[in-house]
Amino acid sequence: MKTFIAGYYRLLDWLLAASVGILVVPVTLQIIARFTQWIPHWIWTEEMARFLFIWMVMLGAMVGIRDASHFEVDVWPELKPRANALLRIVSNVFVLVFALVFIWYGVKFVQFGWEQTSELAEMPMTWIFVSWPLAGLTWVLFLGEWFIKDLRLVFADRVSPLTNIGKPRL
Amino acid sequence: MSGATLAPGIAALWLFGTFFALLVLRVPVAFSLGLACLPVLFIEPRLSPMVVFNTTFKAYNSFILLAVPFFLLTANLMNVGGITDRLVRLSRAMVGNFPGALAQINVLLSVFFAGISGSSTADAASQGKIFIEAQVKEGYDLSFSIAITAVSAVLAVIIPPSILMIVWGGVLSVSIGALYLAGVIPGLLIALAQMATVHVYAKIRKYPTYPAATFKEFVMDGLVSIPALFTPFIVVGGILLGWFTATESAAAAVLYAAVLSIFFYREMDRHHLWTAFLETGKLSAVALFCVGTASVFGWLLAYYQIPRALLENVTAWHLGLIGVGFFIAFVFLVVGCFLDAIPAIIIVGTTLQPLAASVNMHPVSFAIIGIVSLAFGLVTPPYGLCLMISCAIAKVRLRYALKDTMIMLVPMLLVLAMLIIWPEIPLLLPGWVRPEFLK
Repeated sequence: MKTFIAGYYRLLDWLLAASVGILVVPVTLQIIARFTQWIPHWIWTEEMARFLFIWMVMLGAMVGIRDASHFEVDVWPELKPRANALLRIVSNVFVLVFALVFIWYGVKFVQFGWEQTSELAEMPMTWIFVSWPLAGLTWVLFLGEWFIKDLRLVFADRVSPLTNIGKPRL
Repeated sequence: MSGATLAPGIAALWLFGTFFALLVLRVPVAFSLGLACLPVLFIEPRLSPMVVFNTTFKAYNSFILLAVPFFLLTANLMNVGGITDRLVRLSRAMVGNFPGALAQINVLLSVFFAGISGSSTADAASQGKIFIEAQVKEGYDLSFSIAITAVSAVLAVIIPPSILMIVWGGVLSVSIGALYLAGVIPGLLIALAQMATVHVYAKIRKYPTYPAATFKEFVMDGLVSIPALFTPFIVVGGILLGWFTATESAAAAVLYAAVLSIFFYREMDRHHLWTAFLETGKLSAVALFCVGTASVFGWLLAYYQIPRALLENVTAWHLGLIGVGFFIAFVFLVVGCFLDAIPAIIIVGTTLQPLAASVNMHPVSFAIIGIVSLAFGLVTPPYGLCLMISCAIAKVRLRYALKDTMIMLVPMLLVLAMLIIWPEIPLLLPGWVRPEFLK
């Protein structure tokens, strides 16, 4: 499971970097088309850029949970590692609620997408909307990893600290 | 809306109450905003959580916001491609003989950087890595070094190009070209205020200085930097001449930075490029995800007409032009403490617009007051992104650098007050270059 999550994370990272790189292309085409005759003035470049952008945002929001890089406001004094882990469990429970909402209602959102096609490329909107429930599922996966890590930290003290004395770490 | 079950006051209590409670529990801001909407969406029979999906989708499906990753990418390319190094050398040749030289270079580099990239977070991240450690090594106090890096980073969104101006122009329908020109003078004034602050610090604490650069060094460093310094003219000029839209100008900046890094300064390889892509994606997506959930929050505020209820009292105060200016700045400063600037524009900018219009404040003056105040929010706790990034690089907690940051904010606030009392200041440059923009 651990290697699966790590591999999945690397895949998402790769897709995220690729989406940023590709994002420059349609916008550049749009500029070139305006000033030269080399390429026709495609109208789908704008739509393609927007859809790629949506995927980029959602992919970044997914990996952001594993990186714990979503910005938070810290009003607490310096916490001990255990208290810190406990607080992170509490806050992650709320994130989990949001993830479940994304999955539960996201399925409806995706079904709704089959009936809609994009204005320019006439692509079913499902291909865009599916990133919402996927984000929910991914969050659940990454949150699970955090819960395990933090629970271990919280319960680490139940093992008497005496047992660690004299034993070298690792 | 007349059909709403919840009274505006109750709805506001639910929204803000849940939001702040979750913030205290250290739930990420983006998720706190989204979660705060859920109780109301469940209670109100006409609404359902589907609003979250439709509104976030609409928020992300925006060509304007594409400029956010582009400006961040420009900054990342500058760093890995050697552009930043050249600009550091030029800054050193220019202000190296001032007291507190390294800190002065820090501020001046932010001015150059601001003219190329429109992202303050990128500025704080890259200059934090360059300066904080170097300054401490030369005997500057750590908290001073963190604070000056963070406060100088806010220039990036005030001096054009600027992500905030693009978003403001898009959301409130103001000419982005006019906003760009209007930002130049306030940005330079704030930079001057910061350099004066550094000077006073350096005199009191006896910070070190470098020997003055020779004329030859100055010319050499200047010549090498010219292609990089040309970027703002491409970006801003391209918009003024109608070559690009705002988003396209950001893409043009990316291409220009890439070309300079690969062909002119020749320091970038494929690995560097990939890292720049990934870092850009990670930081911009996290910031943009928050824009989506903030849009849901803002949508609900508008649904219950909460902003109007709040503003009814304010219009009754009859503040006048300057009073309203101070009120707007105050609101943005307070909101900036808790929210990132882009969501704040979406939620608060639209709310205050009628108030600004009621005293005939020029939309461009209103925008500059708002953007400068929100830029200061980038270094005010508890949620000041630039300060958070600088502290994270120095591996200390936010409150460690708080005192110096607050001291440095005072002269900057004086500049803001100047902009409010004389709202013509930001209008000077656009009025001179392109008077038709101000109509």
